[in-house]
Amino acid sequence: MDDLEKELNPREDMENDDDDDADDSCDNSSRKEGSSFKLDLIQPICQKTLHENGFHQSVRLCLEYIREAMLHHRWLEAAEYMASYAQILEDRVNLTAQQYKELVWRISTEILHHHPKSTMDDYNVIYERMKHSGFKHYLKISLEHSFHLMLHGQIEAAKQKLSEAESWRHGKETTSQYQMTKLIQAYRSLLDYIIWYEKKSMLSGNDSFESDSQGMQNYYRQASINLKEILSNPGVWDPFILSYVTMLEFKEDQEEALEVLNKYAYDDSFPPNPNAHVFLYQYLKRHDASQKKLKRVLKTLHFLVPSHELMLEYFSLLLQSGSKKDHQKAVEVVLDMLDFACWRSNLDVWKCLQNSIQNLQTGEDWKSFVEEKMAVRKEWWPALHYTKFHAMKDSEENPELLKVKASLISALCPDRTLKYSVELESCQE
Amino acid sequence: MDEEETAGYSEPCAQCAAVDWGLSEEGRFFCKSCHNVIERTKEVMDLTFIQGANRISTLGRKSKTETAGGRHTWMVCEGFQFILMNQADALLRLGVHPHFKGDADSDSDSAAEASVASASGTDGESNPCSSPSSKGGSDWSGSADSLCYLTPRQRRSHRLLSLKKTLALIHLALVWSREALTLSDLLGLVNCGSVPYVKAHEQLPEQMKLFGKDALLFNAETVPSHRSLHKEAQDLLLFLQLPAFPPISQQTLLHPGPLSLRYLIDANLPGELHRWVCRVAELAGLFHESSQTFHPESQPTLPRYDLQAAALIIVTMKLLFGLDDHTEWELSNNARSTDGEGAQFNLRRWYKLMQTALNRAQQKRDQDTARRQWRAKKPIFMRKKEKWWIMKKKRVAEQLQMCFEKLSSQPSGPKDVTTSSFKFCWGEQKGADGPSLHHTLLDGVVGLKDDLLTPHHHSYWHSSLRPCKPRCQNHFTDLKNTLPNSFIWLLELFCFILDVKPSCLYEEVLSVERRVFAPPTDRARLRNRTETRTRHSAQTSGES
Repeated sequence: MDDLEKELNPREDMENDDDDDADDSCDNSSRKEGSSFKLDLIQPICQKTLHENGFHQSVRLCLEYIREAMLHHRWLEAAEYMASYAQILEDRVNLTAQQYKELVWRISTEILHHHPKSTMDDYNVIYERMKHSGFKHYLKISLEHSFHLMLHGQIEAAKQKLSEAESWRHGKETTSQYQMTKLIQAYRSLLDYIIWYEKKSMLSGNDSFESDSQGMQNYYRQASINLKEILSNPGVWDPFILSYVTMLEFKEDQEEALEVLNKYAYDDSFPPNPNAHVFLYQYLKRHDASQKKLKRVLKTLHFLVPSHELMLEYFSLLLQSGSKKDHQKAVEVVLDMLDFACWRSNLDVWKCLQNSIQNLQTGEDWKSFVEEKMAVRKEWWPALHYTKFHAMKDSEENPELLKVKASLISALCPDRTLKYSVELESCQE
Repeated sequence: MDEEETAGYSEPCAQCAAVDWGLSEEGRFFCKSCHNVIERTKEVMDLTFIQGANRISTLGRKSKTETAGGRHTWMVCEGFQFILMNQADALLRLGVHPHFKGDADSDSDSAAEASVASASGTDGESNPCSSPSSKGGSDWSGSADSLCYLTPRQRRSHRLLSLKKTLALIHLALVWSREALTLSDLLGLVNCGSVPYVKAHEQLPEQMKLFGKDALLFNAETVPSHRSLHKEAQDLLLFLQLPAFPPISQQTLLHPGPLSLRYLIDANLPGELHRWVCRVAELAGLFHESSQTFHPESQPTLPRYDLQAAALIIVTMKLLFGLDDHTEWELSNNARSTDGEGAQFNLRRWYKLMQTALNRAQQKRDQDTARRQWRAKKPIFMRKKEKWWIMKKKRVAEQLQMCFEKLSSQPSGPKDVTTSSFKFCWGEQKGADGPSLHHTLLDGVVGLKDDLLTPHHHSYWHSSLRPCKPRCQNHFTDLKNTLPNSFIWLLELFCFILDVKPSCLYEEVLSVERRVFAPPTDRARLRNRTETRTRHSAQTSGES
């Protein structure tokens, strides 16, 4: 009968917002890692089991109080209850203890993030203790710890933690957490690069470059070897590749840099990444590559991201070349750009369109071309650019834009009477 | 000078076979020829007032002091006895009369002896405990015979000492010495840590090393419930075949009279109700000594004093106020002014006061439960290789705790633990839960009629009183939806005060009602006994 009552009591469910991306290596170092976390609690943790003893009842209640306090942002209270919750780690039953370790880790760091009196020491204590309390999440916690140190400017300490983690081996666990190891290696190399870069900028400022070149060489070597290895794995490695290329540029190793960038951009095994082409383009531009090469890179970029701001450069490159085909392509590029709402009020883009159309008009046979291009857009372009509302807005904010746009109506949509122009007429009167 | 004390004992010493006993300073017997100390102590022999109890003979085990590491071979029951002593001491510190300890002593000795006798086993089964001193030695556990305690057969026989049994023994000793602590009070003290239970093994002496299978016996991760502990005490009573207890008269604090007054004060109900409660107790035949005192023949079940008193109060409230979600509110509507002299008791006001206080107290109790620390400083290890990682876990937990204690600048564990047996505090002083309604009058509820005080409310409702088959589950959860809310609320109030489940209290209420509404044949017997008192009380109430 006592058991019956326990069964009838509702189960507790704990679900917090999730945003875990410790595994994602995209460019997110600016965000504070661990400030939001995914708590993938499986049912058994907060469920009141049939034969719950006094100890489990106490910790279950404690967890509920912690959760309430955290959800209502009462961090001081949460810290108090957390002190009483620590006894969960001594639970004799081995199975449940594993799950609770992750719980304790994540809750503790969250409380520390928000508590007014938390210090770096507290963080270090928590991370160190939880790291060594179990081997399933040693690597994960190491990574988070070093992120935290990095964000607080302690690069050396972060690097040290990562080196320790790198040399950790634990039989089967190492192989199952292979991806984590790769990440750790990657970030360690990144930290090496950061240290090298800082030293370089410090030294070059002091004009005493020869001193400590051995140390510099070391960092360079460590960083570059690992980075090269990391970049051979498919993935999104934007910050890493930038740092690697910077290092190679410094050493004036053009071939290597080009090879790496090309591979990053064109290798099919890598996921499609527009940034790769952007990096490649910027590098080529820095090193005065031919227009043909530049255009080729931008062509792929145009295919991937028609609304990219580099498209303006592409446009100017195309116009500069003499061929008609290129000019037609230029029109196409600009029209593609204007398909996107972000460029709607941009005077430069409209002017470019005006230029390109004027350019085309010098040749013959431009009407059919324009008509062909506009065919797919006839339905929705006027609504996007040429409504009365736009007219009013443009006349208030940017009258020049109004003029430019208006002048293009006859070219783009000759057979439609648009309110835009009507407004203009009324304005003129 | 030792001769007188040791004269009665003429067993040969196990080590040197001489019969030459002396008394050491602590009162222990030792063999003068080989200085072997045995368990028998002087105190044991002095408890002559336990007549007819089991022969309180010695346990007859020897404790050899090994020089290697100062380890002591000790028996599990010794450990339990030690814990029992500590628990008794704790109660003495809280104010219990000292002779209670003697009772606890005797009870424990008889219990231990009987359990060891059963542990030795007389049947022909290949019982590994036939020679406890050889088995269960240093590798398995610190104590010498914990293996015996753990074989499934022994566990099923329910005859061996356990931590729960020590508490049950304490309870019996308290009842015997007629102390005011009820079972729910005892459990309350255990819960707030005043009586050692969960961490009791920490207080065992240094020589008793605890590890191995001891962990299963001495580790407590839950405090037993009221119901299970009562059952345990009941079983112990039968097992130990104790004689009749000293009588529980109207003067003793466990009797429904004084005990119900105590609960009335705690629940902030008017003192005038007490007279009615006593009347109901008489009607139920619970007022007389014989129904409250344990006797092997006439009263074989140990009464649950606390539940009984609460049930009597609830029945009285039902009688006077109806508690059918209708009558009681009407009556309170008719109440006059509620302040100053001659103030009337207003149920609605009482309910509001009580509800807020109850919510607050309930919340505090939950918070204290959440903060409670269950882990002892010196954990017991099952196996030697466990020691390393258990200590490591402990260190991690402790460091975490210290880190957060520093942050919150407050120690972990329940805050402001008080060992008062009253759950609420009523009056005008600071920190009180509300104004006291103890002196209010029941004028609106009872009135004079033919010179007799009678309640205005004339009817009485009750659930089906027919007792179910013995193995039937309690029906409270099924009936809960059909019962009036006021009644359920009152049940839950007293359940909070006593820290029991509502179903237990409901059962008790039903049993009181059964006694009150007993069939005529039984009632005649009851009436004869209480007749004189009825007339007496009716007359006094007519005059007042």
